[in-house]
Amino acid sequence: MSLNRDKFGFDAPVRLGHPIRSGLPDGQSTGPEIGDRLPDFELPNASGANIAFHADRGTAKAAVLFYRSAVW
Amino acid sequence: MLAAFAEKQRIPFPLLSDIDSKVIRRYGILNTQIEPDDGFFYGIPFPGVYVTDGDGCVVAKFFHDTYKIRDSAELLIDAALGRVTLADDAPKAQSQSGEIKVSTVLHGGQGTLRQGIRRSIVVRFELGDDLHIYGEPVPDGMVATTVTVAGPPGLTVEQAILPPTRPLTLAGMDVTLQVWSGTVDIVVPIYPTSELASEVRPLDDESATIEIAVRYQACDSDTCLLPQSECFTITVPIDITEVPAIDVHMGHGQREGTYDGNPHFKRLIARKSKKLEDWMKTDG
Repeated sequence: MSLNRDKFGFDAPVRLGHPIRSGLPDGQSTGPEIGDRLPDFELPNASGANIAFHADRGTAKAAVLFYRSAVW
Repeated sequence: MLAAFAEKQRIPFPLLSDIDSKVIRRYGILNTQIEPDDGFFYGIPFPGVYVTDGDGCVVAKFFHDTYKIRDSAELLIDAALGRVTLADDAPKAQSQSGEIKVSTVLHGGQGTLRQGIRRSIVVRFELGDDLHIYGEPVPDGMVATTVTVAGPPGLTVEQAILPPTRPLTLAGMDVTLQVWSGTVDIVVPIYPTSELASEVRPLDDESATIEIAVRYQACDSDTCLLPQSECFTITVPIDITEVPAIDVHMGHGQREGTYDGNPHFKRLIARKSKKLEDWMKTDG
């Protein structure tokens, strides 16, 4: 087994114990719950235009992904 | 840079910038394991996905203990639609016996496995009009439907997700059974850990064989067929991880992204370093 492998069974290109490799702490909230209306937000898209989530969505279903970065 | 990234990675959905992590904080999903003085890492979320209905209400959430586990798009679509939509060309093994068809399918990701990416094995029963199969609990002498999935070391198999049963009370018997009829999908999420597919070394094996054991008993309102035990095998390719094309990720035998992140990475560090300097000043 790799010395770099974490308790979840995953390798990564940074050392074990680095904060970037930490998991979801016990009891950590993961934000809005099932049944909640997703709180609205307005953020710029790739071309700089502001997108208001619910207005942009209209009546469509949606998947909202939170991701760390498009760079690394 | 989001535009360049989306184009290179052929991302068809909008990418938004949460500058200063404002929405991340408002949602309460800022990664609190990372301190402000952890440099450019600070500000990232615990990664996850919310799926909403047409009113914008959350119908499913996908957050995991480790950031290494992510869900295939197909699982998000299933959550939004409330049913499993299988691709016609997904890897599968199946059997047909009379009015019972059983299909076992690798669902998600164009039929490949990749480190940390959650797909599922879907066992789909298609039952003739009068037939049903049983969920737990069943009385002595009857057989509940079970699905067991096994793969090579490093393939994590999660607990099966069962659709809701409907109660069936048999005439003349003082017992209510829990049954499924029609098309029944049992979903078993799976993902490879690094033992099977690591993002920091070349693959040991280029494919994985998954064995699916299915046991069930089908009945109509009068009679029961004999219990059946069937085994299915699906062999699927293991995919390497597409890693960001920045120095820390490259050189491990993985496929480098088609998008060069280095210029943006340098700007990101410069911007965050400036913020860090400012923050250090305000702190004392």
